[in-house]
This record gives sequence, structure tokens and C-alpha cells, in this order.
Amino acid sequence: MKKQKLLQTLLASTIVISLLAGCGGAPSSSSDGSSEAAGGELEGDITFWHSFTQGARMDAIQEAADKFMEANPGVTISIETFSWGDFNTRWNAGITTGDLPDMSTAQGTGEVIEMENAGVIRPVDDMIDNIGRDRFSQNALADMTADDATYGVPYYSHAQVMWYRTDLLENAGLEVPQTWDEFYDAAVALTENGTYGAAFSCSPNDLLSARYLNFYVVGAGGSLLNDDLTANITSQEAIDGINFWLDVYENCSPEETINYTVNDHATLFYQGTTAFDFNSGFMISGVESNTPEIADDISCAALPRVNADDPIYSAEVSHIPLVVWENSEHPEICEAFIEFLYEDENYIDFIHSVPVGMLPSLSDIAENEDYLNNETIQQFGEELDVIQTAVENGHAIGFEHGASVQASYLTSQGVIEEMFQDIITNGTDVETAAQNAEDELNEIFETMIN
Amino acid sequence: MSKSVTKSSFRPETGKKDRVRWLFVMPAMLVVLCLLIYPLFSTSYYSFTDKTLISQSADFIGLENYINILSDPDFIRAFTTTLKWTFFSLIGQILVGFTGALALNKIKMAVPRTIYRICMIIPWAFPSIAIALVWDWMLNGIQGFIPALLVQLGLTDNMVQFLSDPNLVLPTLICINIWFGAPMIMVNVYASLQTVPQDQYEAAKIDGANALQSFAYITIPHIKVVVGLLVVLRTIWVFNNFDIIFMTTAGGPSGVSRTMPVYIYELGWTSRMVGRASAASILLLLFLVIISVLYFIVIARWEKEGK
Repeated sequence: MKKQKLLQTLLASTIVISLLAGCGGAPSSSSDGSSEAAGGELEGDITFWHSFTQGARMDAIQEAADKFMEANPGVTISIETFSWGDFNTRWNAGITTGDLPDMSTAQGTGEVIEMENAGVIRPVDDMIDNIGRDRFSQNALADMTADDATYGVPYYSHAQVMWYRTDLLENAGLEVPQTWDEFYDAAVALTENGTYGAAFSCSPNDLLSARYLNFYVVGAGGSLLNDDLTANITSQEAIDGINFWLDVYENCSPEETINYTVNDHATLFYQGTTAFDFNSGFMISGVESNTPEIADDISCAALPRVNADDPIYSAEVSHIPLVVWENSEHPEICEAFIEFLYEDENYIDFIHSVPVGMLPSLSDIAENEDYLNNETIQQFGEELDVIQTAVENGHAIGFEHGASVQASYLTSQGVIEEMFQDIITNGTDVETAAQNAEDELNEIFETMIN
Repeated sequence: MSKSVTKSSFRPETGKKDRVRWLFVMPAMLVVLCLLIYPLFSTSYYSFTDKTLISQSADFIGLENYINILSDPDFIRAFTTTLKWTFFSLIGQILVGFTGALALNKIKMAVPRTIYRICMIIPWAFPSIAIALVWDWMLNGIQGFIPALLVQLGLTDNMVQFLSDPNLVLPTLICINIWFGAPMIMVNVYASLQTVPQDQYEAAKIDGANALQSFAYITIPHIKVVVGLLVVLRTIWVFNNFDIIFMTTAGGPSGVSRTMPVYIYELGWTSRMVGRASAASILLLLFLVIISVLYFIVIARWEKEGK
């Protein structure tokens, strides 16, 4: 009996001790935290988060990491991938939990400024200088600059342009629209027999309505932000823009798109359901993988203007950057790896993984023969020129006033999308809905910005 | 005298036994502490602060989050929508599940009964995310199978917008949830029906009771406690259901299908206002605790009546 009790006590104690040991934070292996071994070679482990979940891009990054680790045997690069949607959530949560990477991509310039505002990333000016500051677009660097420091190294760029189906326009005897009115008329004319002229989507889980409204407002010479960085959804340009897109939704778009996100929306063009769409050069790979038989019938042009004699403009440019996190114990390894990624061969291999979708952020690479010697780039040379021109002449949404967190919140909160849904679903008056959205955005700015 | 001697002689023994018991129970208690108490306390704490997702510190702001939440029309709307979603889903699941169980109970042949049981349980065996994606695809208003079928059959002129028409969204989601949740009710009710003594039915038949009377006075009293517990569980699960709604409509369009979990998610992850999201979570928790207590009072009364 006594033996049994002793056994019970021992067993119970073992369970409790095991559990306590499991809960403890004792390190399982020693880590000296040093980045350089005695011979000056890099040594240590880093974690790299990126959002290149598509096969070719993911492979290109993994290959570069493997090559870097081969050249630096003391270095281990652990790569973790997250979709664009999950990426923001992941690092937001990581601030509280401490689960953050050493280096990562960011969704765009807006997110870089958000990260800087949260104090979680480091300046990368040394890296930019080492790679060659003059090789980068000055617009791109300016969009990632806060308090005289640059927080992201532009990795690739793209811009929003108008995509259209050449065969549908030709069959209908229509020209490529130059103005928003011509675009609307063409879209209405092409809406028949299961084909829609254009889709207008407004899921609050994405930024499409803000993007489309911004096209119109910037084209009309306005901005969704005031000079003092408060929201401006009630300007005449914005009200005209809201009414314009409501007409598009009413007369050329599938009803279902009221709840569509970027991927759902783009798929409509990929599959040949819509005749027009607004997107970057990623449209080519999307069409080629979904409906290759229409790949020869797509092309792009600059965004439509309000008046035919208005200058050609660019309303949304994205520079996807690499950033180094403040918590990194091995910023030297991050720096060396990033510089390695920008070596010509590695960089061109990466850009070629989605040709025309990703445009080089380095000006000399854009003219490099090895870069230009690609089947897709040669096939879509005119489209590449259109997008390249847009990249060179534009900024991210709201960045007309310089880099700001407010600009990022314009698109990340779903407020403009909710406004459109409110008007469409509840019949709310346009001016009232715009005022409500503007007030809500300003409240968010006040609450969230330090 | 002998009683007191016996008592004192066993005291040390009981103490040792208790210590051993506590040692065995401690791991489970620690797990509960880590997984339940800590989140509960941290949520309560954050609900009184201005904590945001990207801020590394938070200031105490008293009841401000609660005042903001309770005066937010979106909260009232989300709460009302959640009540409708829960009530109608629950009623539907019980009706369908109960009917399925009674039908299953009537099938006497083993093979057909097994096949029927497998068919009925299939929806519940699927992950809810897969279900949401499949229904989203079938009900798509542009190329969806069901709207296209309705047009082909001549029942509708245009593709019905099940997931974007504000009048259809919530009923559609409730139907999906009934389809998803009814099998669980069916299996449990069926198991409970197996325990009803057959001789009581036979006695009732001899006494001239019809089928409805047998159901009301024999079947229901035997299974009502099980059904009551199922209702408690399903109420909490359905009330807190997130994935089906988020994956199909994300609460839209214009918030018509936004339930409390979606509302809290948006506050916490989209707007990043962790303090307000925590306050909304605490309010939701309090409501569910009150509802659960009421349910358990009723079930306890039924159990008492049963004895």
C-alpha cells in the first residue's frame, strides 16, 4: 500500500515537474548572438518573412538564400511565407508576442511608414549607399523616408494602368478610351451576353474602392488627403469620383462584386469575364495561367483622364521593399544578404520570375540586356513601357503629400469600401456617406497615429 | 466516542490522499490557468486601456471603451444580427436534426440505417472553412452552380445574388449553418432515442395512446435533458461562429451579415483597436454566461422532474 502511494506521489510529481519544465523559458541551446566568427566570416541564424507565395518568386528567393548560405556556411536563413493579407496581421501580432523576423518584405511604401511609426524597423541608408543610391528611383526612396532616414530598400516596382481586351474593343468598333467618359461608354457597350464592361468591387477587406476612387480624384487634380494630412472624401473631385464608380457598378459590373476582394476581382479579367480592368503588369501572368487563349488579346494604356486634353498621369505606384527589423540580432547578415540579392544575376533571376509584373527598382537593370532578353518582356514590350512610365511618374495612394501613416490608413481600414457598400446597399445619400467616411478616417488617424 | 476516534485516526491519511490528488490535478489546473484564466484576465485588463495592436504600451482609460462600444450603432447592429443568426440557426438545426434522428430511429434494417447515418453526418465531417468556400463557389452570383441552375430551370430570370443581395445574405448564411450543424444534433438525439425503453411505448399503445401522445409523453421527457445540453453547446458555438460568415461574406455587404465575432475581429485586426475589441469580447462573454446560466437552471429543473 505504501509502495503504491509512493509510486502515485512520484508519478504526480514527475508530471508536474515535466509541465513546469515545459513552461519554462530555459534555452535549449546556447546562442552567443555574435554575427562574425573569428575569421571575419558571417555566422548566425536569421528569419526572413516574405509574401512571395507564387511558385516562381518563392523559388527564386529560396535559390538566392541557398546560394548565400553556401557562400557563408555559418549562416542559416529560415524563410517563412505569408499571403499579403496575412502578412500585416502577422507582424501586428508579432509586436505584442515578440515573434518578429530579422528581415522581411513589406506590402508597399505605406506599410513601411506604418512599421517605422510603430518603431519596429531600422534605417537602411547604409545598404542603399552600398548598392548605389543613384540606381534607385528618387520617388521610391522618398516614399520610404521618414525623419531623414530611409527605412526600406525598394526591391521591385509596379504601377496601376488600364487593361483592356483588344479583341472585344475591335469587334465592337471601339477605340481605346482616353477619358473616363469614354471608358464608361465603352464599358456599357461591352456589357452583354455574360461579359461585363468592368467590375467595381468594394469588399472592406481590401482596398479596391479606395484605389479606384483615387484614380479618378488624382486624375481630376485632387487628393484623398488634405495638406494637413486629414482625410478628404468630400471634395468635388471625390464626390464626382464616387458618383462615377457608382454608375460603373450599376451599369457595367456584376452585382456580386460588392463583396469582392482584389483576387476575386482580378480573376474576372483573368477568366475573360470583364473587358476592362485596372491592375499592374501582374495581369499578364494572371491571364496566362487562367485563360492562356486570351493572352494575345490583352493590352494596357495609361489611366483615363477627366478631359481629353488633361496630361497623362499616374495615380498609384507600388515599390515593394525589403526591411530590416529592429529586434534583429544579426543586422549584418541581413545587410549582406540584401546586398547579395541585388547582385545583377540574382536580381535579374528574381525579376524574371514574374516578367512585366515586377519591374526592376534599379534603373540600370531596366536597361540591362540580360534583363530585356526575356520572352514575356519582349512580347509585352509596349505594355512594359506604359507601366514603366507610370512607375516613374507616380506615388503610392495619398503620398502626393509625402510619406505618411495617414496615407496608409486610407487603404487599410476599409472605410472607403464601407462607404460604397452603404450607398449601394442602404441607398445612403452620396454626400452624407462621404462625410461619414471622412469623419471616420479622421477619427482613426487621431486614435492610431502617435 | 468511537466515532471521534475513527475520525481522528483517518485524518492524516485523508490529508496525504488529498495532497496526492492535488498533485494529479495540478497539471490540468495549470493548463486551465494558462489557457483560460490568463486570456480572460488579459482581455479584461486591455478592455480598460487604449491598447492598439501596434502600440507597445497602453494607458488606463477606465470605461471609455465600453461607453464607445455601447454607443456604436455598428455594435448594436452586429449584436442584433448575431441574435437572429443564432436563434434561426438553432431552431433550424434542431428541427432538421430532430427530424433526421426520428427518421433514422424508424429504420430497422442495419445497412440502410448505416448508409443514411453516414450521409447525414457528412456536412459535419467537413472543416467549416472548406464548407464556406464550397458554398461561396456554388452560390456565386456570376458563375455559381445554384443561381445558374435556377435560371436554367426557369425559376428565376436572373442570377440570384444569394451572397450580395442584402435581403438574402443572412437567410442564406443561416441555411448553410443549418445544413452544417443539424447532423450533430441528429447524432446526439438519435443516441438518446436509443435509450428510451421500448416497453413504455408498448404500454402506451395498449392504453390507446396515439403516436403524437407517445412522442409528447414518452420520447420528449426522456431526451429533453440531452437536447437541452445540446442547445446550450450549440448556442455558444453558433453565437461565436466566425469562419462560415467571414469566409463567405466577411460580414457584408454593408454589415448586414456582420455578427459579433466578425465585428470584434474587425475592431482588433483591421482597426487594430485591441482595447475596444477586448471590451466587446467581455460584453459578449457576459451575455453568453447569462444565457448559459439560464439554460442550466432550466435543465436542472428538468433533471429534478425526471428524478
